[in-house]
Amino acid sequence: MNAPFFKFEYFNTDVSLIIAFAIGIAFGIALEKGGFGRATILASQFYFTNMRVLKVMFTAIVTAMLGLYFFSVIGFVDLSLVYLTQTNMLPMVVGGLVAGVGFVIGGYCPGTSVVAFATGKIDAVVYVLGMIFGIFVFGEMFPSIENFFNSGFMGNVTIPSYFNLSYGLVVFLVVLMAIGAFAAAEWGEKKMSEKSGKEKV
Amino acid sequence: MTSITKILTHAFEKDEGHVHIHIKEKPYSNPYLVGVGLGLVLLAAFVIMGRGLGASGALSTAVAVTVNKIAPKHAAQNNFYKEYVGDETTNPLMDWLIFQTIGVLVGGFISGTVSHRVKKGIEKGPRISTRMRLVYAFIGGGLLGWGAKLARGCMSGQALSGGAVLNLGSWVFMMMVFVGGYAAAYFMRRQWI
Amino acid sequence: MKKFLENLTTNQKLGGVALVLGFIALFAGDPYGGTSIKVNEKDLALSTVGNADKISVNDLADWIIKDKADFELVDLRSEEKFNEYSIPNSQCIPLTQLSSSELLRNQKIILFSDDDVASSQAWFILKSKNYKGVYILDGGLDAWKEKVLFPKAPVNGIKDELDQFEKMKEVAKYFGGSVQTDSSITETKTQIKLPTSKSSNTKTTAPTGKKKKREGC
Repeated sequence: MNAPFFKFEYFNTDVSLIIAFAIGIAFGIALEKGGFGRATILASQFYFTNMRVLKVMFTAIVTAMLGLYFFSVIGFVDLSLVYLTQTNMLPMVVGGLVAGVGFVIGGYCPGTSVVAFATGKIDAVVYVLGMIFGIFVFGEMFPSIENFFNSGFMGNVTIPSYFNLSYGLVVFLVVLMAIGAFAAAEWGEKKMSEKSGKEKV
Repeated sequence: MTSITKILTHAFEKDEGHVHIHIKEKPYSNPYLVGVGLGLVLLAAFVIMGRGLGASGALSTAVAVTVNKIAPKHAAQNNFYKEYVGDETTNPLMDWLIFQTIGVLVGGFISGTVSHRVKKGIEKGPRISTRMRLVYAFIGGGLLGWGAKLARGCMSGQALSGGAVLNLGSWVFMMMVFVGGYAAAYFMRRQWI
Repeated sequence: MKKFLENLTTNQKLGGVALVLGFIALFAGDPYGGTSIKVNEKDLALSTVGNADKISVNDLADWIIKDKADFELVDLRSEEKFNEYSIPNSQCIPLTQLSSSELLRNQKIILFSDDDVASSQAWFILKSKNYKGVYILDGGLDAWKEKVLFPKAPVNGIKDELDQFEKMKEVAKYFGGSVQTDSSITETKTQIKLPTSKSSNTKTTAPTGKKKKREGC
């Protein structure tokens, strides 16, 4: 048995759509359980009062990264067949900044807005409409920004390949960084709740 | 769930001027356990499909298909729409991300129902009017939609999926989202706290 | 020790597991291990293209006509040559670009070039990279032209041979070739008009051809 299963054609595209639906359900449940269906919780990440976003996201990244790494090392997964989005440095920097600002203003990111929508949040409905409008504007602007969109092309590049480090070392560093971030987040939350507690009194 | 969000929730309910009578909603789960769960879902996507999760892609396809329906000539001149519409040999709506996103909608609803967390409402801080909140939601959605397209992915597609495969661009994107978010947070504080 | 573990919170346990796994990762090696070329000289020396790894042009023609699409047909020649003419349903992956191609290890891959030299080389490269079903087209494109596109009429053939020739005529017609009679061969060998590849449903991959399917969001 070799993975990724789809790339080895163990099933066809129609079946993949059913799998997409199933994985989507699991994804939705995880996001909802994480409290990502609520803009107040998501936004509080940016005021250091509730660091759930960071905790859930980094734990998920670390889990998937470790799993994928060890599956590849033992030869179960062919890592070269796992999709890697190409890197275009400058558009990604600018896009990331704009998305970050949009995150704080809107209170959701695309995935979480879907969950919020499913749990009856009206602002999420408006947010999704805004997102559709944003994508439409991007589409209309595309001919004029196409050159910028394609600038800074670096191909499929990973952190280990770019910095010429061993993959395992980067995996270890990410784990260390995540645990450090979690410790800082726990400490920060405690501080903030003490502070807000005092203010209340 | 920390005390601050409870305070926010209470304040919000008072702000609306009525008290909800409902079965007590369950607190959100331990974020680290949820994170492991989310990570396993992502890992399953990698192992089964060889790709990560996504969200904004489904909307992009929907937008592109709509534009293509209304103004096919216009869409045909635009590489962005063309990429999402495809070469018309296959139905662009029979797309992995679209089915996955419908799944998210269903999954979110199931989980919310089980935990008694599905209820109509607007998420906002106590110091902002409902109308302004909705205006901000629209602007924020617009910015994220635009930015995610420029960056070739959103939080799910880039930060989460790309992060797990140590994609250089995805990590840069993730850092920039936090930079942009924290930079704008000060100006948006009236909306949330 | 046991007591120490019991006293840990769930979060600390999770962190511990991650840390241990991360530490092991330091020494566990390269996850791309299976995909880079690992040449075992002995194995390679012993492995030669055997008859079982060869596919005759007539079989291939038969498969294409019957629309049997369980294989990837790879043209190893340059792109100019590929654009001039190639076997229908083939894709162009010049030998130099073979290692960066998108061929999958579980696919049945049939390699061909003008003759057997380049395809044998490519066969070795793919075999050493753990590709399972790699075959070469026996005789390459030269054999394809000679036997499928422009088959020779048998001289004073017996009935069986003539029957078979009728079939081959059909096959040649299907691929846009024609039958050569003895006299025409000597005269027109150089002027044989190859069917244009545009009419057939050939597909190119490199470098401007088939777009990689978008999978991000």
